[in-house]
Amino acid sequence: MSIEIPKDKWPGAVQTVTLGATAEQGGTRTKVVTIGGEQTLPFMHFESETPNRPVIAMEMSSSRPGGWSQVLQDTWGDVLDDPAKWAQACEQAGAELIVLMFGLTDADDNPITPDFAVQTVKAVLEATGLPLVVLGPGQVDIDNAILVPIADATKGERLVLGLCEEGNYRTIVAAAMANDHLVLGRTPMDVNLAKQLNILMTDMGLPRDRIIMDPTTGALGYGIEYGYSVMERLRLAALQGDAMTQLPLMVNPGFESWKTKESKVGEGVPDAWGDWAERGVHWETVTAVSLIEAGADVVVLRHPDSLTRVKESIDELMAAEPV
Amino acid sequence: MAEYEVRFDSHPEPIRVPAGTLLVEVAQQAGIEIQQPCGGQGRCGRCAVIVESGQVRRRSILRLSKADVEAGYALACQTVIEGDASITVPPPEAIQRRLTTDHIAPEAAIPEGYDASRAQSVRRVEIQLTPPSMDDQTDDWGRLCASFRRETGVERLNASLDQIRQLGATLRSSDWHVALTFDTGQNGEARLIRTQPADAAADTPLCGLAIDIGTTTVTVWMVDLLTGQVMRQASEYNQQIARGEDVISRIIYASKGNGGTELREMVLGSINGQIQTACERAKLATDDIVKATITGNSTMMVLLLGIPADIDVGIAMNSAGVVDPLPGVASYVGADITAGVLSSELRSSDDLTLFIDAIEEVWIDGGTYEPDCRVIGNVAARGICGSGLISLVAEMFLTGLLDKGGNINETLDTPRVRRGRHGPEYVIAWAAESDGAEDIVIARVDIDNLLRAKAAIYAGFIVLANSVGVPLETAERVLIGGSFGKYINVEKAVQIGLLPDMPWERFHFLGNTSVKGAYLALIDSAARDEIAEIASAMTYIELSADNTFYEAFTSALFLPHTDLSRFPSVEAAMA
Repeated sequence: MSIEIPKDKWPGAVQTVTLGATAEQGGTRTKVVTIGGEQTLPFMHFESETPNRPVIAMEMSSSRPGGWSQVLQDTWGDVLDDPAKWAQACEQAGAELIVLMFGLTDADDNPITPDFAVQTVKAVLEATGLPLVVLGPGQVDIDNAILVPIADATKGERLVLGLCEEGNYRTIVAAAMANDHLVLGRTPMDVNLAKQLNILMTDMGLPRDRIIMDPTTGALGYGIEYGYSVMERLRLAALQGDAMTQLPLMVNPGFESWKTKESKVGEGVPDAWGDWAERGVHWETVTAVSLIEAGADVVVLRHPDSLTRVKESIDELMAAEPV
Repeated sequence: MAEYEVRFDSHPEPIRVPAGTLLVEVAQQAGIEIQQPCGGQGRCGRCAVIVESGQVRRRSILRLSKADVEAGYALACQTVIEGDASITVPPPEAIQRRLTTDHIAPEAAIPEGYDASRAQSVRRVEIQLTPPSMDDQTDDWGRLCASFRRETGVERLNASLDQIRQLGATLRSSDWHVALTFDTGQNGEARLIRTQPADAAADTPLCGLAIDIGTTTVTVWMVDLLTGQVMRQASEYNQQIARGEDVISRIIYASKGNGGTELREMVLGSINGQIQTACERAKLATDDIVKATITGNSTMMVLLLGIPADIDVGIAMNSAGVVDPLPGVASYVGADITAGVLSSELRSSDDLTLFIDAIEEVWIDGGTYEPDCRVIGNVAARGICGSGLISLVAEMFLTGLLDKGGNINETLDTPRVRRGRHGPEYVIAWAAESDGAEDIVIARVDIDNLLRAKAAIYAGFIVLANSVGVPLETAERVLIGGSFGKYINVEKAVQIGLLPDMPWERFHFLGNTSVKGAYLALIDSAARDEIAEIASAMTYIELSADNTFYEAFTSALFLPHTDLSRFPSVEAAMA
């Protein structure tokens, strides 16, 4: 007996967004990344093709990050002190995209300056041919002070600049528009708030193909269900034709999972928890794969082993045979 | 326990209190008024006093800067005495509140075809008794009851022992010719309210009160029960405002010490002050008031009635009179709503109708500035009132000073947009243009407060409409109660997304529907019964337990709304 599987035809589709620009496109990247374009829910290959694979980005910092788990520090070693080498290590590990986070201070504990920020970004761009996401430390005044000169100094690269938030998006959006960059908007786990920020940014005249949204998620065991549900509802709204939700999603399973006790703490925990390093990678991998199933277009990771394993999962999800 | 002496600059005698007494309590003992708009939670900082010398412990210094504390400032609601101390109380904030209701004479027509003799439950009859004789030795009370039965047909009359004690003297001084005021009540049992000599009664009206206790305003209507005519209407600010500007602050204040008793006395002050004035003007005694109906939101009713304490209601009226606190539905839907539904005739209409009675309270919570005077004529501005805030935000939004998220556009080239203590702000009136020493500004926090308030109201509409399965736009009428409603500009309220976008002619402002409902219940026992029916027939939607409310709320937390297609007229205005 044959079973006919009903197929949904959605009126809407996710916006296609390209990160990075090659020399012909006005930048210096050797690789660009294209995300989005979905016309159905994740991996429903029988309904519609998935035009672009989910992309794995690696997170790195402008200087050795203070709060990182010892597992991560041991894994990366000395490259943590040199952004250029760290970026190269990320590329060698298989990253398709680099996320450069700025801390509030440099390696000598001095407050970062616009000049330091521009030099760091240039060093990373020279060290790798991958597209780059540049995020400020998350304080409005400092973010604006470093992102504007970075945008000016890298005109045409199609960097992703962030974070844009509801109360602080104008300066970053204006800098991105003037220099052919993209922006990342983050909202606190709410469909409406995500949509509102997209409306505010497009109201300024920023085209939709230059916006990526980060709806905020939680790690496995730390609110992942809520983040999952918000992503799913955003995607459903997008497919139903709501233009202001039709933007690709970028989420941070690396950041979320490596701040959990299970990943961060190796001593004084039950034996049944098993090997610390293995546990941290498990945690990051399961969190990332879950979010990919929820519709993530980019997952930002911290551990190279997680990257390998998440990549395998994506291969399998993409290869599923059309019915 | 150790006792200490506290001296106040404005009070001649030192006050002796045990260690650990709160400064507000010491001030109270000295009869010094200290405002506590947040209900004594240490949130608002408006009870700050100066500790000139002595030992105190500041449990919290929220809202005080380091320099303030060094200068001796302390929050009176958060500071306890730990030694002899000397305190200066700064002069009270000169907050000028003006009642919008002062200038509204709500139309209070007697309902068409009204007949007091049939509808009014309180009646007065004249009775001529036969004096006792050798042939008829019935006692006074039995004699009165027999005549009452003959005169009225009512089987049974109940009276208090006190009323019976005074009866003998009244009967004899009136030469056995008396007027009885009684409540017909139910089941053929009447209750005696007053016995007067008949000739004295001929000159005294039979008065009733319709009382509406709002969080902000207390409204009292005095009514001639013999005709149903409203004799006087008055409104006052609810004195409880000094102990908490919103309902939650007052609940918190009431639960501390004898805060409940204090709040009860304050609202009674607001009510009885108006009654005394009305009685003086009309040359009446409070004993001439024989019936009262009371509405208000559930919190106000409970605070008045002194629940859980068991005490008399305390309205300045005839102590044997009828006091009828009207029924509400639930914590958040009180008698003010049931009375409003009655007076707006919602029940008898076939139209799909949205009835709103929440707006007054929103404005009071509206911002860091007290809702205050409007600029009328050429008077200088002193602050922003609620309706002004709506108009202002609507204009700022349409002109691009605000984005849809309520952010002030700081990139605009105008000195009026600047950075203030609370972030970006817009100068509405420079100090020179205004009546004060400071510029009048609207800050991001004010806008956020307004946005949250309007989003909660609009989300309430959406949840309510969804719960009965109709689109909000299909409402054929929108009835807006509350005295404030009179001043809302529908166009502006729609532009910020407070009211649904529909043709203006569907909006109707009804004024204070709550007191009108109390009035109808006062003069007509059928209307009183209907309120009880309304209360039992109403389906109550608990928004805090409704899992669609939050979604509706965050989507309304935008100008005018995240889904712009809900506001076509605003979309057109922006294009």
